[in-house]
Amino acid sequence: MRKVSLQLTKKTMAVLTATFALISCGKGIPEEEGASIASAKAFSVEEVLEMVAAENDITRTLYTKGIVGAGKKQGMKFDEDWQDDEVEAGPLPALFLRGVSADIRKSPVPLGLYLGSDYPINASNKFEGQQAELFKKIKVDRKPQFFYDETQKVHTAMFADVAMAAPCVSCHNQHKNTPKTDWKLGDVMGATTWQYPSDSLSYKEAIGVLNAYRNGTKAIYNAYLAEIAAFKSSEKPVIGDKWPSKGFYLPTAEVFIDSVRQKASYKTMEVLTKKGASIVSN
Amino acid sequence: MFFKNPLRKRQAIGSLAGVIIGVIIYVILPQESSEDLLSLGPMNVGHEGLSCTACHTPAKGSLVQQLQANIAFTVGARKKKVDFGTKNVDNNKCLECHDRPNDRHPTYRFEEPKFKDAIAVIDARQCETCHLEHNATRVVLEDATFCKNCHYDLEVINDPIDIPHSTLIKNKEWTTCLQCHDFHGNHIYHTPEKIKDTITLKKVNDYLKGGDDPFTKKKKYYPLSEEEWKKVVNTYKK
Repeated sequence: MRKVSLQLTKKTMAVLTATFALISCGKGIPEEEGASIASAKAFSVEEVLEMVAAENDITRTLYTKGIVGAGKKQGMKFDEDWQDDEVEAGPLPALFLRGVSADIRKSPVPLGLYLGSDYPINASNKFEGQQAELFKKIKVDRKPQFFYDETQKVHTAMFADVAMAAPCVSCHNQHKNTPKTDWKLGDVMGATTWQYPSDSLSYKEAIGVLNAYRNGTKAIYNAYLAEIAAFKSSEKPVIGDKWPSKGFYLPTAEVFIDSVRQKASYKTMEVLTKKGASIVSN
Repeated sequence: MFFKNPLRKRQAIGSLAGVIIGVIIYVILPQESSEDLLSLGPMNVGHEGLSCTACHTPAKGSLVQQLQANIAFTVGARKKKVDFGTKNVDNNKCLECHDRPNDRHPTYRFEEPKFKDAIAVIDARQCETCHLEHNATRVVLEDATFCKNCHYDLEVINDPIDIPHSTLIKNKEWTTCLQCHDFHGNHIYHTPEKIKDTITLKKVNDYLKGGDDPFTKKKKYYPLSEEEWKKVVNTYKK
């Protein structure tokens, strides 16, 4: 009996070993590119987030000044509830950023983006905990703050969000729900928080982050134009190559994005080419 | 033969049982009519007519490749595990039909560090925390007081309601939140300004358990039906 069970054990072991060997031969499903090209990590996560945050500053300033500020003078409306059916308005700058953030999340790029403040109009955007502590430092020296978020397991960066355009100050000071009414141009009104899961990025991944941000900008701007197309009672601005500073006009998404790129490209290319050059020469 | 060696009989029975189980697994269970047998439980409200394959789509690669990849992961030869059999049903799958640009509480919002303490109590980063499938309901939470995890210090400037939010919060009346506000903000609905005009708690609770919508039937966005979803997927494939 003992002999039989010993034979059975041997057989079982042989079958198991053969099965294991069979399924272990070969690599299986190829890994996603993002996980396998560890050899070409050209950028630190801090560099990439600084680069995309700089693009965000330019985009936000252009939208706030060129679209919201100039548009309001022409009679265009902007509202927190711009997507509600009965509201015929465009997104306020904070909502514009939230739209960019939402679109990034739909992309395969694992980039997170949030806007917060110590005196936000919407209480849900108020900093708490570690972010609140770091924001105090940002208000003093305006330098970015980087940390590793153990809960979410992501590298996190915070950048000062400065009042660069007059409408930032006037709208926040005059808003019916504002907790602060003495904002001035140049004040650090808040900070953007960015997240990325790895500490370094390849050239391709860095471009991916940049494109995810730019695509997000385009998506939210197009969503605004789609809302205008559905206006029932409000006058619709002429959409083309002119800006609200020239009259009751709005630029198309392409014209808006082109302007952002013209303003941002020098700085962005400086970062990309400086680091990318070493990869190309390899 | 069986009389000579009883092990032979056991082998034969075992083989026959294996064949029968194999036939059941490979022939009968994949039939559409067998979906109820395989389901972990009755579908949630609104999902009753969906077929299994609307959510449980095949994972990338063959079963052998998936095994190989996961063994490679186990021994440290690759960085990521792969789905086995069918793809993991995650937020992205839910959003293929339920994505709404006007969502007041999108799941990604809770990945910000400030929500660390809140998600330790209720993981709002995942749809299934509230909407776990196969439970014949709308929301699986025992009560609807989850707002307290983030809004415990809410201050409303120019508060329009007759009993101010500060009083409701001070009295810990967290069940009143949903009597005015729908969590995802998709209903086209005016919030009342008097507590007496709010939706009753019973109606809210019935709704969460799968009953009638007490806010309104009018919504800004409606989810895709399975047919609409298939069209989108097929267009994407092209």
